[in-house]
Amino acid sequence: MTSLSEFLQVAPVAPDVLAPSLWLIIALPLLGAFICGVFGKMLGRANVHLIACSTVGGAFVLSVLAFWATSSMDLESRRLLSFFVNPFGQDRDYVRYAIAYDYGTWFSAGDFRVNFGLMVDHLSGILLLVITGVGFLIHLYSTSYMEHDPAYARFFAYLNLFVAAMLVLVMADNLVLLFVGWEGVGMASYLLIGFWYEDPAKAWAGRKAFVTNRIGDFAFLIATFLMVLTVGAFTRQADERDFTSVGTSSERYASALSDKGPVTFLGLQKMAEALPDGGPGQVNLSTVINAGPLEGYTFGGVMTAALLLFLLGAAGKSAQLPLYVWLPDAMAGPTPVSALIHAATMVTAGVYLFSRMSALLVLSPTAMATVAIIGALTSLLAALIAFAQDDIKKVLAYSTVSQLGIMFMGVGMGIFWAAVLHLVTHAFFKACLFLGAGSVMHGNGDETDIKKLGGLRREMKWTWGTFFVATLAITGIVPLSGFFSKDAIFHGVHHNHLAGLPWVSSAVYYLGLLIAACTAFYMTRVYLLTFEGPRSKEARVAHAHESAWQMTLPLVVLAILSVVSSVYAWPLLKASGDGRPQPVFENFLSPVFSAMNRVVATGKTVELDTSVPALGDYVFAWLVAVSGGALAGFLYLKFFPSRAGQPVPAFARAVRRAAQNKFYVDELYELVIIRPVKFTAFILFRVVDALLIDTVAVRGTAWVTARVGSALRYVQSGDAQAYAAVMALALVGGVAYALIQVLQ
Amino acid sequence: MVPIPYYLLLAAALFCMGMFGVMVRRNALVVFMCVELMLNAANLTFLAFARMHGDVIGHVSAFFVIAVAASEAAIGLAIVIAVFRSRGSVLVEDLRTMKH
Repeated sequence: MTSLSEFLQVAPVAPDVLAPSLWLIIALPLLGAFICGVFGKMLGRANVHLIACSTVGGAFVLSVLAFWATSSMDLESRRLLSFFVNPFGQDRDYVRYAIAYDYGTWFSAGDFRVNFGLMVDHLSGILLLVITGVGFLIHLYSTSYMEHDPAYARFFAYLNLFVAAMLVLVMADNLVLLFVGWEGVGMASYLLIGFWYEDPAKAWAGRKAFVTNRIGDFAFLIATFLMVLTVGAFTRQADERDFTSVGTSSERYASALSDKGPVTFLGLQKMAEALPDGGPGQVNLSTVINAGPLEGYTFGGVMTAALLLFLLGAAGKSAQLPLYVWLPDAMAGPTPVSALIHAATMVTAGVYLFSRMSALLVLSPTAMATVAIIGALTSLLAALIAFAQDDIKKVLAYSTVSQLGIMFMGVGMGIFWAAVLHLVTHAFFKACLFLGAGSVMHGNGDETDIKKLGGLRREMKWTWGTFFVATLAITGIVPLSGFFSKDAIFHGVHHNHLAGLPWVSSAVYYLGLLIAACTAFYMTRVYLLTFEGPRSKEARVAHAHESAWQMTLPLVVLAILSVVSSVYAWPLLKASGDGRPQPVFENFLSPVFSAMNRVVATGKTVELDTSVPALGDYVFAWLVAVSGGALAGFLYLKFFPSRAGQPVPAFARAVRRAAQNKFYVDELYELVIIRPVKFTAFILFRVVDALLIDTVAVRGTAWVTARVGSALRYVQSGDAQAYAAVMALALVGGVAYALIQVLQ
Repeated sequence: MVPIPYYLLLAAALFCMGMFGVMVRRNALVVFMCVELMLNAANLTFLAFARMHGDVIGHVSAFFVIAVAASEAAIGLAIVIAVFRSRGSVLVEDLRTMKH
């Protein structure tokens, strides 16, 4: 046992050796994308598969090494090797359990500067593993799933490109570089959703995702600019006293700022730590900014505004209200894409962003409450819509929206580690579900209507088994990961309290219970209709066939992962401070969230409760999940089959129709936003552009010039005497004027 | 001594006659003579003012005008002769081809 733990504590590649090579993790999939995209047609199918899978596999190996290096110890001296001096702190202020490398200035303008810096700490490390690990499995799965597609090289190029962009997103050590990845995944997802662009509906879905994401990205950019301005204002106004409590000096902070730029996460963290401490005369959240573009606003107010804009940005990427509408339509893309982008990685970028900026988020209880409430409402709405969807991928899509909402609830209530844990476990079981759904479609002639499936349990054993496990996991059945991660969030939501907004906690918690029951209900429904009962009479193929090993192997791996990852939520470790039992994952992420904890301790903006759920809480959560599942089981196994053929009550039909049509949210958007925008655009096009600019301004100028010219042509007779006459008349006029002036 | 305004009035009358001739006469040679008349009217004005102010600037200006008029007459006559040779006419309304 000790030898194993010693083996795990010593990384095969030392952190300081590995750090300068971190860029390779991004470069490998990028290279794969390049080769597949440019030479794909020449290479042939097998080579494309090989390159696409091996680059992601290579990135996975490097990620494992990087992740390993973040916890590397020197066995002789028992000292941590993976740390670096926080450039924004004092000399003894280390960032522990992290490796980073700064490749120098990326660009600078005036005193604004952005470095190309990569950082892997425990948070981004675990995401690296998820992205490259799950990404590799999905690549493997795609080799079989996309076998018959003529554009497989393009598909793998996009998929690799996506992985590269996502890796940039999580490894970036500043907001601007993160935004590059943020845009990159948006672009890759646009390309992949509209992959089958010959079908206008699918191309539309891609465009919808793109436009919706752009709205969020715009908010993200404004928020970034606000952060830059805030940092600038802070460095002008803060003095030595502001930094005493956070272990840094103003000179060091300023020199790091000029070296690393204002949007580095470490710098933002240090600023966040300095802000809540409010001694007399010190800069704090209620200090008014005294110069610059933000003059007159308080630091706290600007922070709240910036965080709310970040929330809008995260809502675009992570499909939260009001921008969730693109995600269900994004199911038009190939199924592996749904699994990779819309379940495992990209949509969790918002949760990652807020976890990365947790120290800033906890400065503003208002922003936190908004995040939590948005999450809860999105989650509930999506869960209700998922009730009535018949398309297996649509149900899973809405379930994703709903689960993301749960993560946002956790982030908003300050239980960051549980939100990240749910992100990870959700990546496992939702990817498993999506890939299972793809396998079902593959074996049933691309049938996605669960009403026309049924009875697949006997015909697709592997798919059934893994789908069953993943369903149990997302439903929240006891030994599986989904139960623990979701319950950790709900427990935290219930016990954490936001300063000044005590009601949010319980409101979100009870909504959460309702959501958990709904999740159990609709997931059980999907599972039962697809796999249990008799085979539907409308089925497309008489006998479904099981998929190839390239597809079942990822399913099995993901199913196993969604079981065993529950161990992270178990309180097996002792907290370093008070020795209370602490969940493995909380312990593991504590270096990442230490700044957040310090901000909370001084600022008292959130009342963090670090207790572990008791047995009673577990039983209660379990009962909620089981009741939802049992209700679905009763309805779809006993009640509806026994009433087959009888008319359905009008009320139930109306509710079902409303839910099936997604509560007409798309139509509402169409009416409230899209139509007016289109109308304005039409007016602008017809009146302003076509009439005013084209006709009056552009062609009008030419017309007037030509007309004046042709009128003046008659004057230019070439008759010298006529000219002389004009001159004489002008002279007479001049003389007359002069005379009048003189006489007056 | 004749008062200055009389000279000026005479010069104005000469100028108007010259201008009238430039505008209405068709023969280019006569037009030139009218131009000379206008120049002489100007000279007369200069001299009148020179007398009035009691300095020599007006005289100098008049000499310049005479020199310019002489060269102008030489060039103008040359042009008129060249035109007459090519077209056989010195009537100004026939000379509109310059326009094109």
